Amino acid sequence: MSIDPNAVQRTAEKVLAEEFLSARSKILDLAAILDRLERAPGSIENAAQMQLLGQCLKILCDDEFDKARRVQLLMSRQYDPDWRKTYGLH
Amino acid sequence: MDYIDPHIHMVSRTTDDYETLARMGCVAMSEPAFWAGFDRGSVESFRDYFRQLTEFEPKRAAQYGIRHFTWLCINAKEAENVSLSREVIAMIPEFLSSKNVLGIGEIGLNKNTKNESTIFLEHLELAVQYDQQILIHTPHLEDKFQGTRMILDMLMGDSRINRSRVLVDHVEEHTIETVLENGFWAGMTLYPVTKCTPQRAADMIEKYGPERLMANSAGDWGPSKPTAIPDLIMELKRRGHSRELIRRVVYENPRQFFSQSKNFDPTILPG
Repeated sequence: MSIDPNAVQRTAEKVLAEEFLSARSKILDLAAILDRLERAPGSIENAAQMQLLGQCLKILCDDEFDKARRVQLLMSRQYDPDWRKTYGLH
Repeated sequence: MDYIDPHIHMVSRTTDDYETLARMGCVAMSEPAFWAGFDRGSVESFRDYFRQLTEFEPKRAAQYGIRHFTWLCINAKEAENVSLSREVIAMIPEFLSSKNVLGIGEIGLNKNTKNESTIFLEHLELAVQYDQQILIHTPHLEDKFQGTRMILDMLMGDSRINRSRVLVDHVEEHTIETVLENGFWAGMTLYPVTKCTPQRAADMIEKYGPERLMANSAGDWGPSKPTAIPDLIMELKRRGHSRELIRRVVYENPRQFFSQSKNFDPTILPG
């Protein structure tokens, strides 16, 4: 599906200027959550949720586009095309 | 700017919310039947709920000049109770001639189970039998991708379903493309934490364009914001988008979609 030709194209410089403080704030929130986990008693290194968060952070830092969609898919249960057969539904 | 909220649960909201929505430009809304926060025990509970949706809420909305429409079903969460679901589905036709009923909804999946799928298919049968439009709930969080694909599989597996009369709601970045590419309407729900922000909705409008795309608040009894559509309008304005594009998403698209229902007369709304 193509990008809407009528959509306003803000320049990358403008998007960065407008979104920088928002991104800064969200990164700080995430950093503070990780600090909170570090300070808390107990062990979560092997927790599946921590591994998932680690994989998400890698997506944020890689050179590929479509990051929101890729994070969503990483956080999703997989689709089985034969699900109807599994459930006995026709 | 006038707008329509195509998915909001006003039974959960106060009359003050109706007044606020009217002040912010809401001229019409549609309210799908949904889960009340607890499982209901009998078909009579649903009969009373459907009376609330078809008799009481339209009057409450009208006090503030808002047109209220509705969709009827047993929601995906309670669909786990198959026998109760079948009693409710058998009762729904009693209400289909009520003048604010647009169709069957919000049907869908919650945890993507066999029982939910069974009742979804039986709702489709009801919609086909009574020539009704369909409004669909897609699951939350990690279940959304799988559940959306299962729902599309069931819809596209039935050649009697007219895709242009089906709205698939709660789409996000990983589900919107397949919904639109297959000819369905798509709804983005502006909902804190579990769904989509106005900023991400604006991104999807920029990426996919306004065709067959709308936005809703899904305001209900949980953490939600019934005035979320004005937030999206503000975000699109901030980015420099035209009034025409914004109006198409928040007003013309829902009006065009609703117009396919025999109970909706588009001339009752401002032009």
